[in-house]
Amino acid sequence: MTVEHAEFRCSACGQTAEHDLRYAGRLLESTRCHACGHVVEMQPRALLPAYLHDLEQRVASKPARLLQRASDDRIGFLRSLPGALARQPLKLARELWTVIWR
Amino acid sequence: MRAAVILLAAGSGSRVGHETNKVFLPLAGRRVFTWSLRWALQVPSVTRLVLVIAERDRALAEAVLAREAAGADVRLVRGGSTRHASEWNALQSLAPEIRRRELDIVVIHDAARPLASTAVFADVITQALAHGGALPVRPQPGLVPVDGTTPPPGHDVVAVQTPQAFRARPLLAAYEQADRAGFVGTDTASCIERFTSTPIWCVPGSAHNIKITFPEDLFLAEHLLAQAHWDLTSDPGETP
Repeated sequence: MTVEHAEFRCSACGQTAEHDLRYAGRLLESTRCHACGHVVEMQPRALLPAYLHDLEQRVASKPARLLQRASDDRIGFLRSLPGALARQPLKLARELWTVIWR
Repeated sequence: MRAAVILLAAGSGSRVGHETNKVFLPLAGRRVFTWSLRWALQVPSVTRLVLVIAERDRALAEAVLAREAAGADVRLVRGGSTRHASEWNALQSLAPEIRRRELDIVVIHDAARPLASTAVFADVITQALAHGGALPVRPQPGLVPVDGTTPPPGHDVVAVQTPQAFRARPLLAAYEQADRAGFVGTDTASCIERFTSTPIWCVPGSAHNIKITFPEDLFLAEHLLAQAHWDLTSDPGETP
């Protein structure tokens, strides 16, 4: 779960205030207004299909993205590859946990 | 024909805490503003990209560009205190090329509109070259003019979107005059209308070309991108 903070106009209280934005993988899962506490979240039944659709695209576009990174910085890419590969199973498990059990 | 795209990403300048400029937020695997770069760069006539940022976002912008727009030659320009000032700063950075006639068209786009398709960029560029200026609009039949009158048939109230495109030399001349006159426009077209007689052509906007204003807009943008299979290089059509 990644959390970002940004200023938005709140649709509930109308104030421009800081909001917490929680992401599951690449998908926005929920937002919360700091001024009034208003929460907007994706329905659990919608989140899983959206996540799986997104995951499919991530997997399909991964080879091209890896090639791009390798061509941009070959040495940096080779150095970071083992760590990145090792982190993937845990990253994926955490995302699935968030999507299924939230 | 050569066009420059100015992407306005400086934000309101009111941020005081640790919060992120909304155009730097993640959206379906990229930052919001790099989606616009992606669609604009697919137009063959686009030869120059200018990203207008708040100075505090410079390091983040450079890191994001290196990762998500590697190979693209993007010039970073510091934003001003208003939208008009940011546009003026960007135009000043392009002024030498405009005066040498190396740029024919300048496109100004709000980075908070990540779903403006390649077709919309191409359309406004083509129409601006033909007529002088072009902007995408959407009819708003539920709205009436502020004086309460009913618009005559064929003169509907419209919502104006970006990207807005203009012939480069009249646009630069208008902003130079605005600078001398102390004029601050609400958008690019208002400055052009005030200081030139350049006609501005309306092209059909898209319901997909939303502006990220409320947090809910991020959910919608994510959904629309997924529905278009993350590819807006052709016109995605209207919202079902």
